[in-house]
Amino acid sequence: MTLVLAIMLPLLSAFLIPFFHLARKTLSAGLISIMGLASISAALAAAYTGWYSPAVSLMGGWAPDIGIALVGDRLSSAFLLLTSIGSGAALACALEKFGGGPWRFYALFFLLLGSMNGILLTGDLFNLFVFYEIFSVAAYLLVAFSMSWQALEAGLKYLVLGTIGALFILLGTAFTFMATGVLNMALLAEALASIPRETLTAISACLVLGLTIKTGAFPVHFWLPDAHSSAQTAVSALLSGVLIKVSIYALMRVCYIFFLGTNGTVFLAITVTGSLSVLGGHLMALRQDDIKRLLAYSTVAQIGYILIGIGCASAAGAAAAVFHTFNHMLMKMGLFITAGNLSEEKGTREICGLTGLWKSHPVWVAVFAVLSAAIVGIPPLNGFMSKWFIILSSAGAGTVIPALVIAAGTVISAAYYLRILSAFISPGEGSSSGLPPSVPRKPRRRSISFAIVGSFALLCLVLGVMAFSPFFRECFSSIGQTAVDVEAYVGLVTGR
Amino acid sequence: MILLSYATAIIIFCIGLYTIMVRRNLFKTVLGLALMESAVLLIIVSSGYIPGGVPPIAPFSGQAVNPLPHAFTLTAIVIGASDIALALAFIVKLHRHYRTVDLDRIRGLRG
Repeated sequence: MTLVLAIMLPLLSAFLIPFFHLARKTLSAGLISIMGLASISAALAAAYTGWYSPAVSLMGGWAPDIGIALVGDRLSSAFLLLTSIGSGAALACALEKFGGGPWRFYALFFLLLGSMNGILLTGDLFNLFVFYEIFSVAAYLLVAFSMSWQALEAGLKYLVLGTIGALFILLGTAFTFMATGVLNMALLAEALASIPRETLTAISACLVLGLTIKTGAFPVHFWLPDAHSSAQTAVSALLSGVLIKVSIYALMRVCYIFFLGTNGTVFLAITVTGSLSVLGGHLMALRQDDIKRLLAYSTVAQIGYILIGIGCASAAGAAAAVFHTFNHMLMKMGLFITAGNLSEEKGTREICGLTGLWKSHPVWVAVFAVLSAAIVGIPPLNGFMSKWFIILSSAGAGTVIPALVIAAGTVISAAYYLRILSAFISPGEGSSSGLPPSVPRKPRRRSISFAIVGSFALLCLVLGVMAFSPFFRECFSSIGQTAVDVEAYVGLVTGR
Repeated sequence: MILLSYATAIIIFCIGLYTIMVRRNLFKTVLGLALMESAVLLIIVSSGYIPGGVPPIAPFSGQAVNPLPHAFTLTAIVIGASDIALALAFIVKLHRHYRTVDLDRIRGLRG
């Protein structure tokens, strides 16, 4: 029941918001926060249920081979917790910036929230596609929401590539249905073991290609930098921090359940894609002048780290990938919100124009420094710990090349994050030439955003230290175990 | 017969993908998306066919074709229609700004 509520409450809010707008003409921020709190607590309740007692909810009481099953296990719970934190933070930032004004924005936001929870909880391949499309359409519209020409172009580019990815997923789903006659993931895990090798190759090629396009890994990443840099700050943070992670979950779930025992080549392909993403993303980020585009290319590289972790095809690799997913959510959301606020203050997004901020906004710059140290991977912080675990597990899987790629990528990322920080700290032309600053605007108060960014930076430190505690390692290794333990998943759904 | 339908679907899918990759006109991109979608739907519908089956509308006698793919197709049609409507809306907005639908002349969409 809690599993259904996690999907129903956000969808209900998305449905009600236009009616409140019609009846009252204005939408109070209080109402939106109540809806947001209700949706997020439903998601957290589902996560709690899934963590302590893995649950299956059969829609309408139909058996899993005919109906749709919702499945909450430890992997789903971990990602539900991640999306709840991330979307809560994004909602708070959006409320602080816009108030209750743009009702369309909030309707789309709740639609996105509901479909994300749907992807994380569903146990049916076709249902996954349906939720994926609701999620994507809401995301295209949120990217284009500001209606500037850049945002429209980015939205269209995202739409075309996202739809191609979705059609490949649908084609894979169709092939799967033709080969086996079922769509429930647990039953498919058993059925796919006995189908011809060629069919399995076609299915895995379609599904993995479609999901890779959706995650924005290197060879098919074109949409990502535009979409993530053209949107408004809260949306950019949501896109980079949360939406990509939902695609990572779908890739992880589908690949581990379907192909772990049947087609090992899939994992080699994921590792290669991940390594290419790390190198490609970092090298492209090095060449950017726009701070938000730079952060978006850095996301491409960080997805590469996560893909390398998934490609290990082991419990340790999956645990490391999930840990890095959490860390990347904290770091990149913090960086996007900070960069967005600072560039709005200065009125430019060019890195060379963002000077003298150390004098005017010392706390923001300090937080940015902590977060970028974490994402580069300075030892006591969480970014180092998760990269270290990924390197260990990829070396354990037999190849050392991904580990070398990660090390090389770290050096490149240090170079471009230091470039941003040196621009922030340099005195800037305005103060040195003695002229009064051209725009004597009063700095706007952004206390909620700052509280969020500050707590994310603090969490980066805490998670880095926590990684040494046995309890914490136990939690993450149990997530990894759940991810690769196909038999337990099948047993949970079929009730055997 | 069914093999022919599968082959047609795969050829249409490839034509759609080729159109998106090669053509520089935004409307043709959308047509490519629509073609790819129809091809996948054709595969799904054909997969439910059983030789000699009757329409699965109760009451029926004998072996009925599988109705499940038809339900999938209806869902997928709705999803595809909303995707394409959204794409066309974006293109109309872009056309108002640039007065063209040529990809090469719209700044951010190159490459």
